[in-house]
This record gives sequence, structure tokens and C-alpha cells, in this order.
Amino acid sequence: MFSQRRNLKQLADEDLMLQVREGDARAFEVLFDRHGGPAFSLAYRMCGSRARAEDVVQEAFISLWRAGGRYDPSRGSVRTWILSVVHNRTIDSFRRESRRTAQSLEEGHAEERVAAAELTEVTVQRRADADGVRHALLQLPEEQRKVIELSYYGGFSHQEIAEMLALPPGTVKGRMRLGLGKLRISLDEAGVLP
Amino acid sequence: MSGTHDCTGDAAAYALGALEPEEASAFREHMQQCAVCRDEVAALGGVVQALPTAIRQYEAPPGLRRRVMREVRSEPAGSLTRRVGVVRTRAIACGVAVMAAAGAFTGIELTAGAAATVFQARLSGISGSAQVRVTNGRAELVVRHLTSPGHGHIYEVWLQYGTHAPVAASVLFGVDSAGNNEVAIPRRIHGASAILVTSEPSGGSPKPTHAPVIVTRLD
Repeated sequence: MFSQRRNLKQLADEDLMLQVREGDARAFEVLFDRHGGPAFSLAYRMCGSRARAEDVVQEAFISLWRAGGRYDPSRGSVRTWILSVVHNRTIDSFRRESRRTAQSLEEGHAEERVAAAELTEVTVQRRADADGVRHALLQLPEEQRKVIELSYYGGFSHQEIAEMLALPPGTVKGRMRLGLGKLRISLDEAGVLP
Repeated sequence: MSGTHDCTGDAAAYALGALEPEEASAFREHMQQCAVCRDEVAALGGVVQALPTAIRQYEAPPGLRRRVMREVRSEPAGSLTRRVGVVRTRAIACGVAVMAAAGAFTGIELTAGAAATVFQARLSGISGSAQVRVTNGRAELVVRHLTSPGHGHIYEVWLQYGTHAPVAASVLFGVDSAGNNEVAIPRRIHGASAILVTSEPSGGSPKPTHAPVIVTRLD
């Protein structure tokens, strides 16, 4: 048993997914150990609430388990797939609310300081990549960074962002396009993009 | 460029998941004919995939790990080869046409140790596909390429028992940029004759405000 688990830890994500397809919960556990942290971190950043982030991540991983072997390697890495599911599920949870504003997220953050203090921050293994992305984001003009952060991390649509910032929707889309375009160049130069 | 559409206008918003559901649906259709937009989305998608690395990273809370694995171990995942083989055996043993060609019931998928019954849904006024998978009395609604509910709206799930008014299943859902979602229905469906889905204002409604767009008969 011990040697089987150690062998599972040596498998690549794609090979673990093949085991998951066969109903191997131990393989799924290894996947959770690898990707549960980034998944939770993304959900927590988006939700601003530890409890809500945990619910979303739990829901996401259970849906991944039920999906069994439906992972398609041609669409990206296992981590990309997991984070995409978490991102979509978080936005789904936002849609269940009748109205949500950037301010309500800010207010929630104050109550979360206690919960956040109990969380264990981890050192990112691929620190250079993480630093590269953070640096590239900070290099963007604030107006472009803001719409990207509100949409991706905040889960707001371009229409909602336009209303929040009192801008035409076309301007918001334009800033998204310019911002992502600049990020693409920066990350490509930094060797972060695959 | 494809027609008069601004081919560089929506790609970034789509890649960020920032288009309204009906806009995303229209853009997906547009991409089927426009290689420019497809390429743009593919390129920007790589950038968006990098965004999660820029935020503070935490360990998953231990309690979360325990809850996920407890639920995983109580609900085995599927195995396609075993599923097909045992369905045939059951059909022969029971003398019943398990894979019905007509009606809502389409067959049984066997997971490792637990049978998942699959019911095909009927859609009205929207495109895509939907089915309900029932395992041990628990249901999951699976939608694919579904029309988005529209700006300011959301899909809501109801359970119907006989001729009684539908009961809210406490589930609201949207669809991702591909029109997909898998939604667990928290209530046990024992005794329910149908699972219904309506399009409601964001936040849901206490009662259905329109005719259902998805009907899955369970009887």
C-alpha cells in the first residue's frame, strides 16, 4: 500500500487522470494534493471569503471526480483544467446573487483577516514564473490592469465593469484587449508562456 | 476578418470570461467561421491561464481536503469499459431493453459498484443538450452547449411530484463559455416525477415565472 501510494506520487498528472478514470480515489487524492492549493487560492482571491472558497473548490473537485476520464490533454494541462473549472464554478456562485459590487468584496475582506491568518501561505515552486506574471501585471497601465483584475479575479462581466467604472462597454473591452495584448508580449519575453 | 464584425473586439473579453452569456454564445458561433478570432482566443487564452499564478498562494485547508476525499470515496468514479460490458449483461439477464430508443430513459451507466441511471432531457426554446444522471438517489444535471440564460437571468432547477406545483431544488446555475455545466441537485429526488429548469431573474424566484426550458421526466 505504501509503495503503491509512493508510485502514484511519481506519476504525471495526465497518467493520474487515467487512474482516476478507472475509479482510483488514491490517484485523485494525489491530484488534490498537487492542485488543491492553487485551486483554493484562486477561489479565495475571487470570493474574498474562505468559507465560500472552500465550498466552490469542494464542488469543483467533486465534479472533476464525477467527470472521471473526460479530461482532454489536447485542451491544456490538468492544472489548467482544474483552475478553469474552479473559475467557472466561482462565477456560477456569483450569479446566484442578485447583485454584487466591487465594494461588497472590499467590505468582506475586513472580516476575512481572521480567517486568512489561519491559512498557510506557501512558497510557489515556480517562483520565477509567478514573479514574472505579477511583474507584467504591475507594468500595465492601471486602467488596463483594473479591468483585467475585475473580470478575471472579480468575475464581473464587461457590462458590469462598464457600469462600475462609468465607462462605455466598448472602452472596457478595448482596455481588456490592450492589457492582455501587452501581457502576452511581456510574458512571452519572460519565457512564462508555453 | 469575417463580414462586418470587429474581429478583435470580443476575443479578449471572451478569453477573460467577461462576456455576457448571450454574447459568449454568439461569439462562439462567430468563431466557428472566423479563424482570426479563434487564433486570438487561443493566444490570449495562454495569457489568461497564467493569471492564477500571480496571486498569493495558500495550502488547501485540511478540512477541505478531508471533505472532498470523504465525498469522493463515497461516490466512485466511472469506468467506461466496465460500464458497457455490464450494461449488456444486465439487458440479457433482465430481458429488458435497457437502452430505450424512445422516451426519456436512455440507459444505465455502471460506475464501479454503483449504477447511474441516465435520463435524457427535453429542451424547449433553447439549444444544446441536457441529461440527468441519478446515482443512489442523488441527481446531477449535465448540460452541454446550452444556450445561456441571458443578461440578468439565471437557470433555476425545480422538482415536480405528480401534479403538484414544482418545488425549488435550491439550485441556480449558468453555463461556461462553451455552454457547459454539471450541477449537483442537493435534494434527494425519490418520488419526483420530473426535474424542470426555468430561466429566472438573477437570484432566482420562489416560483417558476415561465414555462420550463428543460424537462426531464423520471417516471
